[in-house]
Order: sequence, then structure tokens, then C-alpha cells
Amino acid sequence: MNIGYLCTYTPKELIDAAGFTPVRIFAGDDQISLATAYIQSYACSQARGSFERALKGELDVQAVVFTRCCDTLMRLADIWERNTDMKVYNLEFPSRIDEESKDYYFRELQDFVNILKEWGGDVTVDSLRESLKLYWELEEKLKKLFEVKPDYEAAKKVQEMNVRDAIEFVDRRLRKVEKSGVGPKVLITGSVCPFLEVYKLFEEAGLLLKDDICTGTRFFTYNTPLKEIESVEDGLRFLVEKYFNKAPCPTKHFPNDDRFNYILELAKDCDGVVFLLLKFCEPHFYDYPQLKEKLEEMGKKVLLLELEFPIASYEQLRTRIEAFYEVIA
Amino acid sequence: MIVAGIDVGSLTAKCVLLKDGELVAYKVIKVSPNLEETADKVFGEALEEAGINKGNIERIVATGYGRNKVSFADRTVTEISCHAKGALFFIPTARTVIDIGGQDSKVISIENGKVAEFVMNDKCAAGTGRFLEVMASALHLKIEDLGDVAERANRATKISSTCTVFAESEVISHLASGERVEDIVAGIHEAIASRIAAMARRVKVEPDVVLTGGVAKNKAMKKALERELGMEVKIPAEPQIVGAVGAALFAMS
Repeated sequence: MNIGYLCTYTPKELIDAAGFTPVRIFAGDDQISLATAYIQSYACSQARGSFERALKGELDVQAVVFTRCCDTLMRLADIWERNTDMKVYNLEFPSRIDEESKDYYFRELQDFVNILKEWGGDVTVDSLRESLKLYWELEEKLKKLFEVKPDYEAAKKVQEMNVRDAIEFVDRRLRKVEKSGVGPKVLITGSVCPFLEVYKLFEEAGLLLKDDICTGTRFFTYNTPLKEIESVEDGLRFLVEKYFNKAPCPTKHFPNDDRFNYILELAKDCDGVVFLLLKFCEPHFYDYPQLKEKLEEMGKKVLLLELEFPIASYEQLRTRIEAFYEVIA
Repeated sequence: MIVAGIDVGSLTAKCVLLKDGELVAYKVIKVSPNLEETADKVFGEALEEAGINKGNIERIVATGYGRNKVSFADRTVTEISCHAKGALFFIPTARTVIDIGGQDSKVISIENGKVAEFVMNDKCAAGTGRFLEVMASALHLKIEDLGDVAERANRATKISSTCTVFAESEVISHLASGERVEDIVAGIHEAIASRIAAMARRVKVEPDVVLTGGVAKNKAMKKALERELGMEVKIPAEPQIVGAVGAALFAMS
């Protein structure tokens, strides 16, 4: 069974350990039409576009796990449950990332293990040990690949594969990859962007990329080293640490401003920062004015690109990206 | 040294020839679906006007949405950089450039003679020349007369629809309720000015503010923008060719 998910706060390791394949759901290339009957047009096109694919029968997934990160995803879960044949489960990932919420998330993971069991998948200490190790391996390899040259096609593809195939896929890419050339470097930051043409526009304009994108670097940036586990409970505790320390996202609240600090640190060696924001994405847009101000104080040029999926006109994006190149070069 | 700047926009293509930094000739033509042909044609006509041979042109820079279709250009520069450079050519004290083009509008802030920041609207026709065209046709007026009609208004009718298509219906319903055409036209100018100003406030609006693009020829538009921004708006001698002049200036360096 394939289990779909939309958010990088989904513990894929547990799904894999239960013998299922976690498959990331992206918006598709077709205009959104069927989903319009279920979701209002001022919800983001990632939510509407993903659901469109579900309604069209394009998704080979039998269940979907939601993490309830933003208002839209919360309601999308309800809409999905009522209007598809897929199983739907809501995993409550805490909004507040601090010591007190760790126990809460641990109990959520325990509940999720029971749900996976109901769905016919058994998480054992051995299977969990293996899945933890495999995902750690995949993440390390993707990091290595992106260090040589960001490969958004690979990042996207592996999110739709079983982790074992994904590791082999990245291995093949690692054997072929050549270092990127020279040029001004930009940090692109935003939620998801599965449209690979967008990254190509940056490259074609002569810009080197670094990213804070949920379908890019945020998919594989965890900051907890692999640990040997003795029990499933051990494994769940490890997952709590791993997901609490992952590359932060604006849907979460961090007592120490981790999200802003993370972006400002990433921007240090970049000549400019491009906000690649999905129209109606509240968590990202509310952060934008303050982040922009802080980045400009650092002397960084900032560009805001508003996206809507599927992307209708790449030439208009190209003009903005080339103009930004001219500004920072 | 003679150089050419070619700006292939959405509605018109412009070609400018500069000789040692001085404007010697320019041409503005309508864009056809074949952008390459359009670029060729506008270039040819400008050369003819100036009585200069193709072979004497040292370098050509293309800009505008169709810039990548100008196969004979030596390089391309985006219309953002070209409008900034062109505006500085006409008005060296320019700090903010507002360009209202055929189907997009942009605001560019300039610092130390360079583009510091820019915003563009190209998702919707509101706040573009196209908006004026649609309204002119709904009111059976010529686009070039709109400014004069607006000057004769007693007051400006409120146009609240953001969407061009809905604004057109709104204009028709104002006509039906007996509003004067002059007042409606004044309202249309205010609606565009308010949309442009909203976008402009996303970058720093500092004087001198320069308005470019074909719409800048409309005096009522300049006044509406001045009221909305609370500062004087300057118009270059030839507002429609600012981007092409910028391109030609890039060709010099």
C-alpha cells in the first residue's frame, strides 16, 4: 500500500517500517477544475492541485496522512476524507516546538503506530531500525548531491519512491554530477515548488542556487545523527528529536526564533534572496515583511515571486528572474 | 559609434538608434504575432528613417517580452534595467520609474544610478494600458482622447471593481444610472492610479518619480497619479521609447 503525504513533518520512517511506501503528493500540470467544487479559490493551489489529482484518479495512493500544519491542510484533510475512497489520518504535529510538546508528539506517534497496525502494517524494532537507517542514508546522500550541485529533479523524484529505490537513484546521480559553475548565488525560500522549470529559469539566468524549499532542501535537512535503538519506543523518541530539529518551517512556533535565524544564516553567503511564495500561503506571507527587512539590513537584495500552480507563464517569471540577476550581478 | 535598442513589448515594438549617445531616430510599430518579423521590421524602419545602413550599427541590444526573439541582437537585457537606464537618460534625477505598458505595469526604484528594487504586475489587466483601451471602447471614445475627456469632469465616479472585465460592466451600469461620461472617465483614471500606487508602495517611492510607457502621454493619468502618490510625476520627452533608449544605452557599453 502507498501512503500519501503533503508535508515534510510526516514521519515517513514509520510508514516505511510498517511495510508501506510513503509517497509525496504534489500539485499537477493540469488546470484545477474538479477540486474547485470542493475548495474555495483562495486556498493555495498546492492544496487544490493535489486534491485535483486525487479526484482525477491520478494518485496511486490508498491512504493519506495529514500533519495539520496550516489551516488549509487541516480542512483539506476533512475534504479528502469525505470525497475520496482513501483512508485519511490526521497526525497532530505540535505547532509549538519546545520541550513540553515533545511528550505530546511522542503519544501522537504511538497512536500513529496503532493506526498503521489497523491498516495492516506492523512496526517492529527491527523494521523501524532499518527504516531509520535507510532514511538517514538517503538524507545524507541528498545533502552530498546538493553540496556538489542542487538537483531538484532528483529531490522531487525520490519523494515519490520507496526509500530503497530512492537511495539507488541518488547514488546514480552522485556518480554523474558535476560541480556548478560560477555566478551570483541566490537563496530561494518558500513552501513547495514541484515545478522543475522554475529552478531551470534561475540556472538559465546564470544564478547559482541554494534553497529553503519544502520540496528541496527542507525535505532532507534533519539535524539529529542516527542513533541505535533498543525498542520501538526508543525509535519513536528518536523521531521526536529528529522532527523537532529538522529545517524549520513557518507553520511552527519556535521560542528562540529558529525559523528566522535559519534563513538569515542560509542567506549569509548569498548575493540575494528570492521568496518563491505560493499565492494565499499565509504562514510564509506573514513572515515575509519582517524577513525581508532583516535580509535587507544584512545588505541582501530581495525579490518576491508569487506562484500559482500550474504555472501559466514562465516567460513572466523569466523576466523577473533575469532582472534580479541584473540587479545583483 | 551608432547603436540600436529594440524593445519588443506586448502591444508595440520600438527601435531607437543612438549616435555617440545622441538620439538620431526612433520608430514605434504594432506588434504582430510573429515577433521576429516585428523586430526586423521596426529595426528596418528606424534605419530607413535615419538613413543609416545596417552595417554601420555597431551593437544591438534587445529588451521587452519579445527580447529573446530578436535573433540579430548581440545580447538581451530585461525591460526592468532598460527602463531604469532610459529614464535616467531623459531625467537624470529619476529615483522611481513607473512604467504603464500595454499589458503589464512595473515600478522600479533606483539607487546610485542602478536598479535597487522592482515590482511588476502582469497577472491582470487592471493598472495597465489595456484597461484604458477596454474602457475607451466601452464608452466609444478614442484612447488618445481619454485624458482630455477626464479633464472636463466635475467629479470622479468611483470604480470599485479590480477586474478589468467587471470594471467594464460597472462602467456600463454607471452609464445606465445617468452618470456623466466625463466623470466616469475621470473615475477610470483614478482607479488605475490607485492600483499603480498600491503596487508602488511595495518599493520605496522617492522623487523624482518618472512615468513611462504609452499611457504617460495621457495628462489626466499623470495628474491622477500625482494626487494618489502626493508628489510630482515627471514625463520624459518620449515616454514610449524609454525602454528602447535604455537598451541602446546598454549597447554602448
